[in-house]
Amino acid sequence: MILEWVHPGLLLILGAWVLPLLKGRVKRVGMLVLPAAALVICWLSTPGTYGVVVFLGQELVFGRVDSLSLVFSYVFSLMAFLGMVYALHVEDDSQHVAALTYAGGALGVTFAGDLLTLYVFWELLAISSALLVLRGGERSAVAAGFRYLLVHVFGGLLLLAGIVLHWSQTGSLAFGDMGAFAGGPAWTLILVAFLLNAAVPPLGAWLPDAYPEATVTGAIFMTALTTKSAVYVLIRGFAGTEILVWLGAIMAVYGVVYAVLENDARRLLAYHIISQVGYMVCGVGIGTALATNGATAHAFAHILYKALLFMGAGAVLQMTGRRRLSEMGGLYKTMPVTLGLYMIGAFAISAVPLFSGFVSKSMVVSAAGEEHRAVIFLMLTLASAGTFLHTGLKLPYYMFFGKDSGLRAKEPPRNMLVAMSLAAAACILIGVFPRLLYQHLPDPVHYVPYTLQHVTSTLGLLAFTALGFFLLLKHLDPERTVSLDTDWFYRRGLAPLVNLVARRLARLEYGFVGELYEFVIRRPVLGAAKLFRKFDSLVIDAAAVSVGRSTRTLSQRLKTVVSGHTQHYGLIMAAGLLALLALAMLAL
Amino acid sequence: MNFLQRQLEDPVRLGRLRRWFYVGLAVVALAEIVLPFIFHGGHPHFSFESLPAWGSLYGLISCAAIIVVSKLIGKVWLMRREDYYDS
Repeated sequence: MILEWVHPGLLLILGAWVLPLLKGRVKRVGMLVLPAAALVICWLSTPGTYGVVVFLGQELVFGRVDSLSLVFSYVFSLMAFLGMVYALHVEDDSQHVAALTYAGGALGVTFAGDLLTLYVFWELLAISSALLVLRGGERSAVAAGFRYLLVHVFGGLLLLAGIVLHWSQTGSLAFGDMGAFAGGPAWTLILVAFLLNAAVPPLGAWLPDAYPEATVTGAIFMTALTTKSAVYVLIRGFAGTEILVWLGAIMAVYGVVYAVLENDARRLLAYHIISQVGYMVCGVGIGTALATNGATAHAFAHILYKALLFMGAGAVLQMTGRRRLSEMGGLYKTMPVTLGLYMIGAFAISAVPLFSGFVSKSMVVSAAGEEHRAVIFLMLTLASAGTFLHTGLKLPYYMFFGKDSGLRAKEPPRNMLVAMSLAAAACILIGVFPRLLYQHLPDPVHYVPYTLQHVTSTLGLLAFTALGFFLLLKHLDPERTVSLDTDWFYRRGLAPLVNLVARRLARLEYGFVGELYEFVIRRPVLGAAKLFRKFDSLVIDAAAVSVGRSTRTLSQRLKTVVSGHTQHYGLIMAAGLLALLALAMLAL
Repeated sequence: MNFLQRQLEDPVRLGRLRRWFYVGLAVVALAEIVLPFIFHGGHPHFSFESLPAWGSLYGLISCAAIIVVSKLIGKVWLMRREDYYDS
């Protein structure tokens, strides 16, 4: 049998289980070959429908290969490869298996042609990524990991409810543009589940809660896969949904606001994931060809530069053991290579000309412009300034420059630097040759990023953001605080409910369930026991006692006879003989 | 001692670096004002984009607004002690 198409996601998910059996160099080769093979398969795939399985009378499509799923599959598998290079030195099989399963899940979501297949891979994403948080090691990581898992299980249930409802209403599981069902309960449930994974506020607090707690290498996978696979399904099903325009723009600004307040390096970057995904969600909402192309291109570029930024922050975390910006500073002296590579990622996310963000983000902003949405345009541009302010200025300033903390950490292991270099090369390559990316976008691209007006206004925006940064620098000093977010509701807001459970429900339990127990179990059991006891004392005991008593009486009687004196016995024998004689005489 | 250390730890060179930064700002702002009159590439979507040095202006305003407003919201409402969730 010749396989017409091997599912790259299944390859990763199944292949991951081989790794624990391998050792040393062979294992490291395996870690790289798996995602590389997935990338090659994606690259060689031609559009079509593969892997159709009939299950319970429903057609499940594992391989919907078209231009949209292909471009996402390229970047997911490319990122998996970079992530594995970065994790090559880690001696923890569970992390590698989880990371590859996670990447496989994202590819599964990307190629899923129906909602049920989508749902299965969706849950796989949640479970495998939760493991990467739980393996973070610290106590806080375990707590955050369970919160993360619970939130995603909740999201998964919403999705499942939506799918079942959709199925019962339409009789079809096919996943395509959902616009025809807009406003219905199934449509709403599915949309909310997607928005939860895309970390759209107020459903997005799980992201900055969990990502900074994940392992240094696991976090790289997390930044890329969950939110961007959600962006993919939003493009697929919900392009042109008006509310997404506003949610996206709010997201872009929201992430920036929280980044000002943040002290934890990776949490600051996590808030900027929310901000960047805001551009994509907004692009999906605008829904024109330029906008969805922009959302796709931005997802592609974002995965690479965000991985690079998290790699840089992760390298510092690994080498110094510190996560707070307020405890870093002066690292440029001993980690200049990490700094340089981080800055390439920072320039890419800040949309500096010749870096990847410039050619992708501007597509979404221009789409807002073409639709004459002035407020959206201004919000997105403001968020651009904020992105450069935090990722390009605040974080590197306090991490690498600023007040010298006395830390003299060395550069990270070579494999980490290689992974960062590859990601940095991709960021520059896309920025310099945007056609490399544009030719793979779902719609033909007529957009030209390098116009005079665009370049000069972007440079102006960035340069004067830098001026503002240096003027207001003393107000930006990171403080040792945490910021309230919507995770407050399940971390503190539920405390009264816990009290309610502990007090009221406990009283109910004692009062009602306890009484019920008394009536249903305790009383009948005790009653039966009493009956048995009575029977025991009246019948059995009495029988035993009376047997004993009669034996005693008998022996008492016998005692008088059996005296032990020979003359008594002789006397009795004589009396007996006499009695016998008398009897014989009387009878004769 | 690497390249960055040589640049940043010598006050003379740091001062020079700062001056170059200001020159860069001026060049960028001027380019934004002047170049559209010489070349007519790219068309703005909104009237406010035609303001002189729009990008520079909006960048400065955005940066200041983000810092001030975020810190204000943070101080009044959002920022809590680090052990807030542990207690």
